[in-house]
Amino acid sequence: MTSLLTQVVVRLLLAPTIVIAAAVLAKGYSSVGDGFSAGVIAALGVIAVYLVLGAEQADRLLPVRLAPVGAIAGLLITLVVTFSSVVRGEPLLTHAPPPGADVIHLGTLELITAVAFDVGVFLLVFGAVVGILRTVALARSEAGS
Amino acid sequence: MTLVLPLAIPWFAAVALAALDGRRPAVGWAAVASLAAALVATAALAIRVWTEGPVETVTGGWPVGVGITLRADALSVLFSLLTLAVLVVCLAHEVLSGIESRLFPALVAFMTVGLTGLFLTGDIFSFYVFFEIAMVSAYVITGYGGRPRQISAAFVFAVVNLLGSFVFLIAIAATYHVTGSLEMGQVAERIADVEPSTVILIAVTVFVAFGVKLGLFPFHFWLPVVYASVRPAVAAILSGALANIGTYGVLRFGADVFPRELEFSASALVVLGVITILYGAMQAMSRRTAPEVIAYSSIGQVGYVLIALAIGGPIGYAAAVLYAILNSLNKVLLFLASGLRGWLVGAAFFVGVISVAGIPPAAGFFGKLEVFRAAIEDASVTLVALLFLGGALSVVYLLQIYQHVYWRPGGVAAGGEASPVVLRALTFAVALVVLALGLWPEPLLAASRAAAEVLVGGPE
Repeated sequence: MTSLLTQVVVRLLLAPTIVIAAAVLAKGYSSVGDGFSAGVIAALGVIAVYLVLGAEQADRLLPVRLAPVGAIAGLLITLVVTFSSVVRGEPLLTHAPPPGADVIHLGTLELITAVAFDVGVFLLVFGAVVGILRTVALARSEAGS
Repeated sequence: MTLVLPLAIPWFAAVALAALDGRRPAVGWAAVASLAAALVATAALAIRVWTEGPVETVTGGWPVGVGITLRADALSVLFSLLTLAVLVVCLAHEVLSGIESRLFPALVAFMTVGLTGLFLTGDIFSFYVFFEIAMVSAYVITGYGGRPRQISAAFVFAVVNLLGSFVFLIAIAATYHVTGSLEMGQVAERIADVEPSTVILIAVTVFVAFGVKLGLFPFHFWLPVVYASVRPAVAAILSGALANIGTYGVLRFGADVFPRELEFSASALVVLGVITILYGAMQAMSRRTAPEVIAYSSIGQVGYVLIALAIGGPIGYAAAVLYAILNSLNKVLLFLASGLRGWLVGAAFFVGVISVAGIPPAAGFFGKLEVFRAAIEDASVTLVALLFLGGALSVVYLLQIYQHVYWRPGGVAAGGEASPVVLRALTFAVALVVLALGLWPEPLLAASRAAAEVLVGGPE
């Protein structure tokens, strides 16, 4: 199934996939999109590499070994954002700064805690999907050899 | 803050534990300590709820229905307390006997997150999300031990319960479709205006979903295979902590969200409850190993909760809550004792036996007593007779297995080495708790009545 063509295309597709994921993550605050869908899109790019190149080669090409670390870091970020509002004396998941306040702009992206929350969700979804996939792929290639 | 701490502690503990090697005793004890801290935080919340009334917060400061509602009332804190206590004991038991898997403490912590979350939420969708967190951890925990029996048990458990979750998700979608809200209070208000034929369908779907979790007849088929194959501490976690989802769900959704439908289907529930009791008892009588007998017994015991729920009213609901709590304590005690050898173990098992059978001074007596009271209140002679028959059968099958395991020369308990004394002491401590609750049942009775008042009063 994996001809030279698919091998080249899948490598070329990876970078645009990540860019699209980043765009979906960033535009989630004014239109459709969020960390969850961004995580799934980015994971799809990595899954394609796994399918075409196989587990060992994908492992060498990408830092997927770090996937579980990413997932745990992502979960930790979301938890800190979720519970930090309680420390400030506001209800759970209240984001800062509040609506109407002056915020730092990064292009069209406004830097608020909701962005940090979504980056956490992105890392969690991406890390978990890739991590699970890698475990399954390695188990399969071990069984095959 | 009091409402948030019981959620925050297990969350952070779970993430930290996921990064550590759970086989090291220090990590195991840290997990036990964090769950115990969550238990203390929940106890503080419970005291506030019992003295000042329900505590409620909406995330993000949004209006109700937009943000997620977190609500602690007398019913939810009681179930959280019970579940956390069970998890602390089971995890301590497993740490003492040596954890084999690196992720076990983290998984138990994640399960705690799911369970406390679903007890403390007032929103049906986040109920589902927390429910899935608990279930996914449970699938992995079931496979703990890694022997083929346990892996196949985990497979059966995961497949059947995923079906149950799927059915529940359909019911949630349908609820949102007809009411336009997933906040429990709003749903309960608006559902009264929806056509009854639609609502009864949703209510039945929800009931089937929780019936699968609980192992009610006729959704029980997965339960004996799973409970009898996994390690004793895991069986205790599944039957003492995870099964509370089913009882809490049936109570919360049945009595709080769909009260009209519950009343409508009361006779069907009574019939199902009676069949469950008799079927569980008959099957239990024909088994010869302790885990299998306890597994079938736990099918049967759920029938009492169902009957009490169907009778309804303050007395019926209080009986259902009380029975559910005592049943989960009994199961923890029996499963933990069934995996041990040596002196004190037989005594602990015997306390569990008389508690399930409903013989004083064990706490189970009051559970049976309250269900009988509810049946007498209902003025149904047949029901009282059938409950009595169920109770008598449980005496027969439990004393039979007690004799078979602990008295027979060459029985299972006679051979082999004695288990570490700390493990036996821990199990015996659970037995003492069951006895203590039987000798001084007033606090528990008061707590279950307070929980029943929440259900009778309906949503505020």
